[in-house]
Amino acid sequence: MNKITSIILTSVFVIVPVLAQQSEQSQELLTEEYSTAQAGVRFAPLHIYLDSGNSSLAAYQFELKATTGQIKIVGVEGGRHEAFKEAPYYDKAALAKDRIIIAAFSTGSNLPKDRTRIATIHLQIIGDAEPQYELKLIVAADADGKEIPAEISFEKGE
Amino acid sequence: MTERKEHFDEDLDLRVPTKLSADLNALFEPQTGVPPEVDHAVMDRAHKHLAPLQSGRGKRLRIHWGWRIAAAAAVIILAFSLDLTKQTGPKTDSFSLSKTQAVDIDRNGRVDILDAFKLARHIETAGHTETEWDFNGDGLIDHSDVDMVAFAAVRLDKGV
Repeated sequence: MNKITSIILTSVFVIVPVLAQQSEQSQELLTEEYSTAQAGVRFAPLHIYLDSGNSSLAAYQFELKATTGQIKIVGVEGGRHEAFKEAPYYDKAALAKDRIIIAAFSTGSNLPKDRTRIATIHLQIIGDAEPQYELKLIVAADADGKEIPAEISFEKGE
Repeated sequence: MTERKEHFDEDLDLRVPTKLSADLNALFEPQTGVPPEVDHAVMDRAHKHLAPLQSGRGKRLRIHWGWRIAAAAAVIILAFSLDLTKQTGPKTDSFSLSKTQAVDIDRNGRVDILDAFKLARHIETAGHTETEWDFNGDGLIDHSDVDMVAFAAVRLDKGV
């Protein structure tokens, strides 16, 4: 009987500190979430445009990263033109991070020219500091798969 | 019923006669009786022999329960220390470096969307395609292989 009692007491003495630690961690997480909410979290889209001039745009790839400010990528959607309406390719691991590589192509004959919105990236912006972005075009190509000069830009949405 | 009445007489006395019963008892009773002293001695020795076993069994049973409780406590502690409630991070597709190099379709030393684009166009226009482009190993070179190339191109930690 004494043995059972000692085992139960030992178990209780071991479990209680572990539970207390867990409770503290949960409390810390709640506090952190609360402070994040206090610091200001907002969501905003970032529209990406590509101007291929007179050339038809059949494929593109670019990289976006935040240079200042704290952001998290929360979603990606396709562009305006029919050829790039579908969600582009991107690494799922980029979600909840501040860097992403996005790409898409179309083998159809209906392709955009001039300036067109190719994608929209949805961001979670944490804090009051306005984030700064670095946007780099990796490649743009025409229907023959030939690289074409193009200009990439972004617009902040509300 | 009427037939039974024909074969058995209900008034027949079926009781065993007293003399026959006495004779049978005398015939089949044990020839040598066990003296009460011997009987007691055997019982005493049996009790002495079984007593430690019984107490040991009880002890083992208690220890057994003790171990169960200890094991349950250990499992609970382990579960909490591992924090099983915490969600794991998003999984990413595994794609080895050798595969990343293989998807460089145009062999320009760089894996980008143009590799996927060229493969897609090749599948659409040409009937025959290289078997080395069956990246997912399903025996077909189709859109899923193109997807694999495209996803390799946008990987954040790609090698090429």
